[in-house]
Amino acid sequence: MIKSRISTEWLSGCSGCHIAMVDLHEKLMNLIDDVEFVRIPLFKDEKGYPEADVGLVEGAVGSEHDRKALLRMRESCRKLVAFGTCAVYGGPSGIGCLYGKDTILNKIYMDTVTASADGKLPEGAPELEQSVIPLNEVVDIDFYIPGCPPHPYFIAIAIKTILGDSVPAISIKTVCSECSRRMEKREGVQLKRGVSTASEEDVCFLSQGVICLGSVTLDRCRAQCPCKGIVCTGCAGPSIDIIAEPHLDIRTMIARRMNMLTGIDRREIIDYMQKEARTFYSYALSSPVIYRKPSVEIKEWAGS
Amino acid sequence: MIKITIDEDACVGCELCVDECPTDVFDFNKEKQIPEIVREKECFGCLSCSEICPAAAITHKDIEHSEEYHHNEENLKLVARLAIDVPLPNSPSDDKHIKAALGDLGLRLLSVASIFRQTYGGSLPAIGTMAGRMLAAQLSKHRIPESFQEALEKAAEQFAPAWVINPDYDGNSKLSMKVGTCFIRELCGEEGIELGGDLCVLFYSYMAGYMGKMGNARLKLIESYPGSEECRYDVEVFNKNDG
Repeated sequence: MIKSRISTEWLSGCSGCHIAMVDLHEKLMNLIDDVEFVRIPLFKDEKGYPEADVGLVEGAVGSEHDRKALLRMRESCRKLVAFGTCAVYGGPSGIGCLYGKDTILNKIYMDTVTASADGKLPEGAPELEQSVIPLNEVVDIDFYIPGCPPHPYFIAIAIKTILGDSVPAISIKTVCSECSRRMEKREGVQLKRGVSTASEEDVCFLSQGVICLGSVTLDRCRAQCPCKGIVCTGCAGPSIDIIAEPHLDIRTMIARRMNMLTGIDRREIIDYMQKEARTFYSYALSSPVIYRKPSVEIKEWAGS
Repeated sequence: MIKITIDEDACVGCELCVDECPTDVFDFNKEKQIPEIVREKECFGCLSCSEICPAAAITHKDIEHSEEYHHNEENLKLVARLAIDVPLPNSPSDDKHIKAALGDLGLRLLSVASIFRQTYGGSLPAIGTMAGRMLAAQLSKHRIPESFQEALEKAAEQFAPAWVINPDYDGNSKLSMKVGTCFIRELCGEEGIELGGDLCVLFYSYMAGYMGKMGNARLKLIESYPGSEECRYDVEVFNKNDG
């Protein structure tokens, strides 16, 4: 039997998506029966770019090296998959788009107490891009698998579907659809700032006055965080309605729902979320999906 | 008839759809902690329940979408590839379609501008500016320009051929914009309306909002000179970053 060949590459990302693949556990063994990993930085010391049927690329494009590696992947793979939130939307390192390359380099290498005495930037590292950008700004992408990282359940489904020559469909359901917490109406709740201030374990964070992005985030994680008491930070990227409709936005939708549940003034919620925009918009900030929204003025909110 | 489906597993029992529905389609079942579709034939497809639903658990079938022109095509393409089964609004398909939309828009603008003037008074420019900023933020070919000069050139390109705009910028704070061919001047000529009225105010602030968003600047109108062949606007430009 001829095995399908999979090649993977890892750009500006944290390796979490590769690790999530290992989380397939015994299923990985079933997968290895059908496929051959010709290039996978996690297990194999393969520096070249062998021909492959499917290429999975984790991470965003942040440097000259990333760009070259991505182009090599595009050439060597028949189908290219943007694997994980960084690859699809740019990810948290995309926040750099608020400042630009020079400001960041100066801040890190020149303006700190540990900077080198000669006042020069270190040499030899690959040139940085002006800002970190998602993969489809550089090459054509055949399939998208968002998630930070995507739950192994979704990875298994996606790889099987792609090998079977069809497109992995993503459900429009949000994180709330899998969450075990009870969303209920409350009175006299105050907006709580900061994290982990919700005391009740089985009631929705929004009902308790804590901002949770579950309702505006695609379910690519089976609601692991909110079920374990951690608010959703929107790591799988914005939900389908927010991408498709120009008038809907992360902060306005959260404010509407929270206002209906608790009666907290919408303006108060919106103002708070704008002030903390780098937190609440972090995962898809450098993607056109967010920065092209007419009502989103990230640069102004961030004061840069 | 519109068919509504609620995914009961996904539903979190928040009752927001019951509150939001304008025609009172749902009743809340307290025992099962889910909404029930009781008066389905009252539904007129406003989709406000599916918009508010935190779990995206409500779907509608057999709704006729009205024609929409404000969607960002690239975002729709992404959605079409992410969530394959989601029905998407249509985009204008050919020149005839777009021309019909523009003609319709022109007539609507005339009436809308006068209503804005009557109800909101002085905030007419604010409405235009906001609309311009929305346009700048939505255009699919839009890339953030490096300089204000580049923003002006892109804007002129974008407004052609309905408007022919010649910006003359001194690189500092003085900008003089000449508008040659103008869709509004033609429309006003046809309808017998004097130039420099509500529609012109709306157009100027629309253009200024667009340029401002593209070039990261604020534009302040000093003086406008409407004319039957060419209109001129003298503008002062403030850089947003300078406060």
